[in-house]
Amino acid sequence: METVAVKTDPVTGLHSWTWHSPLPLECTSHSAHIRARNQQSVSQWSPLQTIPGWDIPEKSESNMFPQDKVVPVGSNMTFCCIVKEKEDFKEIMYGRQEMSATRLSRRTYAITATNQPVSGNTGTNVICCSQRLTLTGAVVFVGYPPGDEGLVCETRDLASAECSWKKGRDTGLRMRRSRTKYTLNGRDCLEANERKRWWCSSKAWEQSWTLVARNPLGTVHLMDSAQLTDRVHLLAPVNVTAVEVKAWSATLQWSWSVAAYKKLEMVCQLQLFAHELNSTRNYSGPGLSSVVLESLWPDVDYTVTLYCGSKHGFWKWGDKSAPYRIHTKMDRPDALDVWMWMDSSNTGCVFWKPLSVRKSHGALVGYEVSQSSAEEDGWTPVSLPPGNFSYPIILNNGSDITVAVAARNPAGLSQPSTVTTPAYRADSQLSMSELLSTNGSFVLSWQPNANASSGYAVEWVPTGCSGLCPVDWKKVPESDSSFTLNSDSLVAGVRYTVSVYALSTGAPTLLQRWQGYSQEMTPSQSVRELLPNQSGSDVLLSWKATAMENQRGFIRGYTIYLANAAHLELIANISDPEVQSYRVKGLSLSSYKFVVKAYTSAGEDAGATVAIKMEMDTADMLFVGILVPLGIMFCCLILISICCYKKREWVKKAFYPEIPGPKVPGDWSSPQGPLDVKPSPHSLVHIVESPEWDFTKEGLFPVPEEEEESENDNIEVDADSDEPALLRYYNQVVGDGSHGNQVSDSSGSSNTSVDSTQTEITYAGIQSPTSSQGACGGGGYRPQMQSVIGPAEPQIEFEADFQDDGLHAGYKPQCSWQLDSPEAENFSGSLGSPTSVTSSQFLIPESSEEKPQPSNTWFHNFLSGKS
Amino acid sequence: MEGAADSDTPVPERSAADRAAALARLLHRDCTRLLELYKEREDFLSQHAPGGERLVTLALCPEAPSTAEQVGHVRSALRRCMELLECLIVREVEEMGEELQGEYESLRKTVKDRLGHLLHSTGALLENGEGGCPPSPPMQCIQGQDEVEASDSFAAKIWTYKVLLELIHWTDSASQTLHVFHTEKHGQQQQQQLL
Repeated sequence: METVAVKTDPVTGLHSWTWHSPLPLECTSHSAHIRARNQQSVSQWSPLQTIPGWDIPEKSESNMFPQDKVVPVGSNMTFCCIVKEKEDFKEIMYGRQEMSATRLSRRTYAITATNQPVSGNTGTNVICCSQRLTLTGAVVFVGYPPGDEGLVCETRDLASAECSWKKGRDTGLRMRRSRTKYTLNGRDCLEANERKRWWCSSKAWEQSWTLVARNPLGTVHLMDSAQLTDRVHLLAPVNVTAVEVKAWSATLQWSWSVAAYKKLEMVCQLQLFAHELNSTRNYSGPGLSSVVLESLWPDVDYTVTLYCGSKHGFWKWGDKSAPYRIHTKMDRPDALDVWMWMDSSNTGCVFWKPLSVRKSHGALVGYEVSQSSAEEDGWTPVSLPPGNFSYPIILNNGSDITVAVAARNPAGLSQPSTVTTPAYRADSQLSMSELLSTNGSFVLSWQPNANASSGYAVEWVPTGCSGLCPVDWKKVPESDSSFTLNSDSLVAGVRYTVSVYALSTGAPTLLQRWQGYSQEMTPSQSVRELLPNQSGSDVLLSWKATAMENQRGFIRGYTIYLANAAHLELIANISDPEVQSYRVKGLSLSSYKFVVKAYTSAGEDAGATVAIKMEMDTADMLFVGILVPLGIMFCCLILISICCYKKREWVKKAFYPEIPGPKVPGDWSSPQGPLDVKPSPHSLVHIVESPEWDFTKEGLFPVPEEEEESENDNIEVDADSDEPALLRYYNQVVGDGSHGNQVSDSSGSSNTSVDSTQTEITYAGIQSPTSSQGACGGGGYRPQMQSVIGPAEPQIEFEADFQDDGLHAGYKPQCSWQLDSPEAENFSGSLGSPTSVTSSQFLIPESSEEKPQPSNTWFHNFLSGKS
Repeated sequence: MEGAADSDTPVPERSAADRAAALARLLHRDCTRLLELYKEREDFLSQHAPGGERLVTLALCPEAPSTAEQVGHVRSALRRCMELLECLIVREVEEMGEELQGEYESLRKTVKDRLGHLLHSTGALLENGEGGCPPSPPMQCIQGQDEVEASDSFAAKIWTYKVLLELIHWTDSASQTLHVFHTEKHGQQQQQQLL
């Protein structure tokens, strides 16, 4: 129940009140009755008025409400589904979303969609379904009210009006019934309503304009007001043509599709498009329909577009005309920039720079080169094809030549450019300064020259270039005395010779010359001819600088490295590039590897490597190999001599002992025969071969007398052996008398015995052999015989001899002589005792024990200092 | 597959009935695709199939003993389908304008054109206009909206769906009937040649 105040309609006298139901009235039946209230008095209720819903039995089909509603985005909305009689209800879908339905009546179910999003092209479907099929449904269109803005009206023909605006936000409502409808000053805007263009036209200009945009969700009013002359938007010029085209100008004509333009004061803008020659030009005048285009370039394709606007109260530029093409005519080329470069005193070349499109004024067909000299009258012309940009010059007799060069195109010949041969100056004749670059550019300056009436010429060419060289130059006005040579004209790592010439009517005069690199780089090649030269413990490294084209920068010096296995060890840094050698001192005998690198301001090159093996010097080798051993030997001999001198008594005793007289019973004072002056028994003892002789050495054996000499010579050389010395001594002492007894090995001993009959007689049967003397233990007498079969067989031979000698067991004098015998030390007590000539036993033993005495007793005495 | 022949074998001249049958098969595929596109736009149709009466029936037409008469009946139904399709296009353009030009709109026009060709082809096959039975119920484009029980947007969508179903059904029937018609004609021609 709701209480409202309702006034009486003054015309009809009726009361009316409208109630808005949130639920469509068709969903189910709605009843209402009314009563009047005046302060405290209340009337009776009126009869109940019922609006039947569509769920009454008379309407048995399925239905959904509301249908085709248009609502704003974000709104809430209730839908109801009236289910067909005898049909079940399953669900209500809002789009793809299953909604929670509320049952309103026996057949009516309702849902409420909240915050509805914008619909698709054909609206949002709300479907009511049974278990089997779709019962019914509805479509709701959710969108936005119109968002149009910015109404602007203008005239194209100086009479009618065209109003346009921005569409604004998409309403999302595309069905015809919900689209935005437009009216302009109350008239339907057909163009916009058909959704073709967002503008409206009006046949007559009005001072103010109102656009109303309306859709089911809202209305927008857009306003604009302006004078016609302030809103002139001209149409595009038509029939644009060039009526007169010259090399440097053209006349352009066009017409207007609106006759009213002919009296309009207008301004026009021409856009000229050409390769690097774009420009925009303005023209003005009443009803402008023709202009003269000045300052065009010959032989250039121009594309012209034209548009105009009202000069007074300019609103905007009009539409552009269709592009129109103009090709200007050709003209004679401009004069060439000519230069002459001398690469020797009588040869050179004339260069000229190619003409740009702006200067050629048409495709060149060739060049004409003429030269004249003082000796020849007139000019000698030569025609060259257009691809040539140089011409060689030869001075026949050293006189100057003037060369004139002109370019030719179909329109004619250019003005000739002349140049006179400059005097040739070799680089070596000049003191050139080093030119340092600044950011890759050379900044040149020079003293102004009074003779430079035609300015200066800066010439740059790669240093040392010959033949076809990339000569470049730039002519500088007379007023300038400086020039910056940009890096884009230079190549990094190339040394340039830069010269400045004073230009006058005659030959150019060289003012100054530099050399420099725009950008120094590391040398591309290492030093050349790197050689090592050993001098004692020093190594002299020498090299030559790499060629100039490989230097790629001023050589600032060299670094010398000693290459080890893993790294380079810097041993010297030569900062003077003129120094191209280095001495590495104090090297020991070994192998070395040296690396020499040249460096510029950019860094070092890869380096040249050389290896050397240090060897001993010849003088050193002579000293160490010969003189030192000789000196040592000499010193040893002196020492031996001194020792022998100091021990001369002992030596005498050792080598010339006093032989005691034999102690025999009887009278032996008167000899029965001549005294056998045999040598000292020491020598004979030494001659006997020891069974423990070193088999690796040649054994001693009886040799014929004629071989004795050579044998003794060999022994002398063998300074390492002590025994040959003894042999030598024996030979010296014995003399020739004993040699004749060594003819036969089997009878040697007997012969010896024969020679020393006395001794043999003296000791026979007195001395028994010592059976315990090692290999010689069981042997009988064995003369100084040595097998000569070989070093590996002496023992066997000896055993065989021993077997034979066993038959003659008895006196065996030499068998006990063992230099290396362990018992040798026990003989020390007997050293110095005279011994029998043929026996190893001391004749006067100091010890009671009778043991064999080594034959080197004297040597032991010598070592022990005994005398 | 119509038109598919080995390039090495000579292609015999196809009869008008054969060409019409092939066109009907092609049209059937087009209509099937058109319904798929419509279901993509109105996705509720894929979830819950709407019920309701058929739009084109031949229930009131007499029995057609001969194949030629059956072809005539099918052609009548196709003619009704053509009327429904034209009405459909008018209504959609009126509602949505001509801004939307997607695959559905393009194929919709193709189906209309090919259906016109098929009606022309089948008309040429029938020498005496056999089977000229008008299908039921009779319709006019405006009345067509009444047939879907409402003039609201949802009813129009259901009606469009039914029209597309009728197109699929009758183009399929046409392809089968025309194939039989072509087979019989071909057999008769061979018998005549043998005689």
